Amino acid sequence: MMKKKRHIPAKIFAGLMIAFFYLPILYTVVFSFNESRSLSVFSGFSLKWYEKMFNNSDMMDSVFYTIAIAVLATVISTVAGTVAAIGISGTNKVLKGIVEQINNLPIMNPEIVTAIGLLMLFSSLAVSKGFTTLLLAHVMFCIPYVILSIMPKLRSLDPNILDAALDLGCTPVQALIKVIVPQITSGIFAGALIAFTMSFDDFVISYFVTGNGVNNISIMIYTMAKRINPTINALSSLIIAIITAVLLILNITPIILEKRKEKNGK
Amino acid sequence: MNKLIQFKNLVKEFDSQIVLKGINLDIYENEFVTLLGPSGCGKTTLLRILGGFLEPNEGEVLFNGENIAGIPPYKREINTVFQKYALFPHLNVYDNIAFGLKIKKEPKDIIEQKVMRMLRLVGLEEYGKRRVTEMSGGQQQRVAIARALVNEPKVLLLDEPLGALDLKLRKEMQRELKKIQQEVGITFIYVTHDQEEALTMSDKIVIMNQGEIQQIGSPTDIYNEPANRFAANFIGESNIIDGIMIEDRRVMFEDNIFDCVDKGFAKDESVDVVIRPEDIDIVPVKEGKLTGIVKSVLFKGVHYETIVETKTGTAITVQMTVSDAKPVQNLSADESMSANDFYIDISDIPELTIAEIIARADAQAWKTSTEELVSITKVDYELKEEKGSYPVTFSTAAGTMDTIHMIVADENKVEAPKTNEVIYAVNIYKTIDDIKESIALDTDLKTWANAQAWTSDGDTSIAITDVDYDFVPENIETGTYPITFSTRGYEYKIDTTQEHKVGDRVGLTFTPDDLHIMAKEG
Amino acid sequence: MKNFKTLAYPYIVWSAALIVLPMLLIVVYAFTKEGNSVINIQFTFDNFARFFSDKVFFDVLKRSLYIAVMTTVVCILLGYPFAYIIAQMKPRSQVVMVFIVTIPTWINMLVRTYAWRGMLDKSGIINSLLGLMGIGPVRLLETGFAVILGMVYNFLPFMILQIYNSLSKMDYSYIEAASDLGADRVQTFLKIVLPLSIPGVISGITLVFLPAVSSFFIPKLLGGGKYVLIGNVIENQFLTSGDWGFGSAISLIMAVIIIISMHITKKLDRDPSKEGGNI
Repeated sequence: MMKKKRHIPAKIFAGLMIAFFYLPILYTVVFSFNESRSLSVFSGFSLKWYEKMFNNSDMMDSVFYTIAIAVLATVISTVAGTVAAIGISGTNKVLKGIVEQINNLPIMNPEIVTAIGLLMLFSSLAVSKGFTTLLLAHVMFCIPYVILSIMPKLRSLDPNILDAALDLGCTPVQALIKVIVPQITSGIFAGALIAFTMSFDDFVISYFVTGNGVNNISIMIYTMAKRINPTINALSSLIIAIITAVLLILNITPIILEKRKEKNGK
Repeated sequence: MNKLIQFKNLVKEFDSQIVLKGINLDIYENEFVTLLGPSGCGKTTLLRILGGFLEPNEGEVLFNGENIAGIPPYKREINTVFQKYALFPHLNVYDNIAFGLKIKKEPKDIIEQKVMRMLRLVGLEEYGKRRVTEMSGGQQQRVAIARALVNEPKVLLLDEPLGALDLKLRKEMQRELKKIQQEVGITFIYVTHDQEEALTMSDKIVIMNQGEIQQIGSPTDIYNEPANRFAANFIGESNIIDGIMIEDRRVMFEDNIFDCVDKGFAKDESVDVVIRPEDIDIVPVKEGKLTGIVKSVLFKGVHYETIVETKTGTAITVQMTVSDAKPVQNLSADESMSANDFYIDISDIPELTIAEIIARADAQAWKTSTEELVSITKVDYELKEEKGSYPVTFSTAAGTMDTIHMIVADENKVEAPKTNEVIYAVNIYKTIDDIKESIALDTDLKTWANAQAWTSDGDTSIAITDVDYDFVPENIETGTYPITFSTRGYEYKIDTTQEHKVGDRVGLTFTPDDLHIMAKEG
Repeated sequence: MKNFKTLAYPYIVWSAALIVLPMLLIVVYAFTKEGNSVINIQFTFDNFARFFSDKVFFDVLKRSLYIAVMTTVVCILLGYPFAYIIAQMKPRSQVVMVFIVTIPTWINMLVRTYAWRGMLDKSGIINSLLGLMGIGPVRLLETGFAVILGMVYNFLPFMILQIYNSLSKMDYSYIEAASDLGADRVQTFLKIVLPLSIPGVISGITLVFLPAVSSFFIPKLLGGGKYVLIGNVIENQFLTSGDWGFGSAISLIMAVIIIISMHITKKLDRDPSKEGGNI
């Protein structure tokens, strides 16, 4: 839109908003290193809450499960979602409409509705709640996001591109791998990224479908939060660190790759 | 008439790039002025400065004699029809047109009267309640004009307003715009890159290029007396020939002296001679002031666009020796190989690579049964930097071999000092099969003979446009054939009503006042 | 792409089993007697009758709607100006600002909500600061304020990003055209920018209202046991009292409320030009 001189009140307002977003995060990280239990006074630097966290096997298990589920759900839902999206784009208009509508349900529905639906499904089928149900649920709500981020890319493909590939001698599978997939990679990556963070951060659905001691970090925080416990700050800081690292890697890798390409170019 | 707008020495820079280099221009009341030029010439920038959307870096804009620097767009008595109309999508046709009046808080009944009058003016009486997004391009265009005119501006600015319309609609809107301008009687400043649009509608055309005004004048002035090469090229199609002014009313080009009507040039001054395609007539050779050969004829609907070449370009002829040699066969490995002798310039030897040798010898190996290509893994040769014939042996991993000769000779080139061109090519050896199997023979011959043309200073490559030979490729036999490569010569574009045959020799004629002499640029 | 349509079939089966079937189960449970058994189904409205006859549940519903509406309003009031400020920055700064707004949404909501629990506590940092100014200590936790604050904090980025998108996509020539036709900056904003950005506000509302009305961990963490919302009731039915039929019925009621509110919101967005101008 327009570029005009920014006014000072606007600057102050923007500054306050940014502070509003980041102060709680900063607070969590800072107080995770606090020596005392105090919520308001930083009495000295200490790693004791981290020590407690690493010695708490429930907490460490939850970190493991969170990462394991997020990685597995991302891989499975990205592959399945890509295949499904390509398939859906080949179906006729009516079927496509129906499938896309169904696909939107988990995205549009309040999470708690999806959660109780799955809970009842797993119980009705007498599947014992635990790692499997958790993974199934995560794959279930991740695939729609993958499909949603790939479909626009497929739609913007030149409709003749597949015919061109076949005309030049590709088998359908070759055409898929050599021509279609390379053009939708950005959508696939975006989908994978959304899937990972959705799974990594999920609380509501996981909370309802898991059992038998399989907990993720969110559930851990929720159940421990009834009392003030600085160990949670340590766990929170760990998550913040992981997500920040993921974000940094995702944003810096392309820059490094670009630079390397430039160097090789010379 | 009254000077309504004056641009005085206007300069505008974007990111240290100068897009307007000191524009001086006066615009009068009730004029239809067109700013004409290629994209990036600065015409839209000039319009946006006048509209108040940009501030110039230097110079001033006077409106009715007053400097309007710093006055925001909403206080200027100027309205704009935007490139893609910029109709407000959340308002219907009526509310779009009424927008400016409502802002000025005019009484409701007055607004209604004015809007209805505008809707009638643009022929959209029935469309007031329509959503603008439901209208066709032409209709949106009319709404945009009505929305601007309803404010009764002194000047209407139009930024390529017909660019998004198809040809037929564009013609219709050109007429309509002119009619509207005459009816409301205000100044229209119209920006376009379409010369035909400019010629049909304008009272005054301002030709711009690279931030400078090239020429200001009426459509007829500009068409008949272009001020320079750019103006001549931009308005209509032109033949522009290098010439020398011998004296007043006498110009020399193509080694002949012709009468003309221009004067005031220095003696022997280099000039550009412009002849419009419709001003040249094709006549029998004897009656022609110039003669040439018809190179191409394109039917353009009303006329034929005939290209006549009066002088060929620089040419070089090489010999092609055609043999009936067959590929070498290696039965045990089921491989075949072919290659041919080739010529190479002494001066090229230091930079010779194996890939180049394989390409020049056209060396290929393949599976005899499947015709699948096999790589050539080894190239053996000895070479000295002096003239002579040197054997080269190509071999594959399976041991198939073929030996040919590389003939080192002096550079074969032709220089044409007059046109500052140099053309190179070498003799070639080919087999009957090579010629018969070629799917693009002219291009292959250029590659085989390594034919290239350059300007004499060696800086710019020149296209080789013609490849001439007098054999029929389908029934070629062994022997030696001359092949001539040449660059483009002097060509004249001529509009004729008669169809001429390609290859005919014809005469060209024109009258002294068909020649427009212009000073060389720069 | 027709050659690949068979690739869609496995997903169609999967989504029927894991997306459609659970939704059907909710409906079935909501309308049948005696929770957990699928055999001898009996149709009933009892679950719905129970919800509407009990004043406690009705209060919960009202409270949930109040919190969600307040959250949405606050998000618009804070989000619109911020989005507008971002949209007016240089393109480079816009990218940076969008990134700054996005990052918090990548961090686990539980983590971010828990942070407020520490800050809002009686002995927390906000009360200490208020204490320095001679106020308080004020009870912040376990209030409606805390719940709304927590929701605004979590959902505000969605509102900002939606409004920013509609503002930044807006064709600059509309603003120039308005200016050309005599509108000053304020008029241009009110007559052009604001109406054209309404779709962004609407999708922002969708993204804020929906999670706000169904959230159950924000009221639990920041509202304590005192601030029960509809989500908490559903949670209790499934994880504590085990009354799936009643829980399903409440979710259906919530879903209907959401659909109705979305419908009303969309109505507000109806294009004024559809009805024609004032000729």
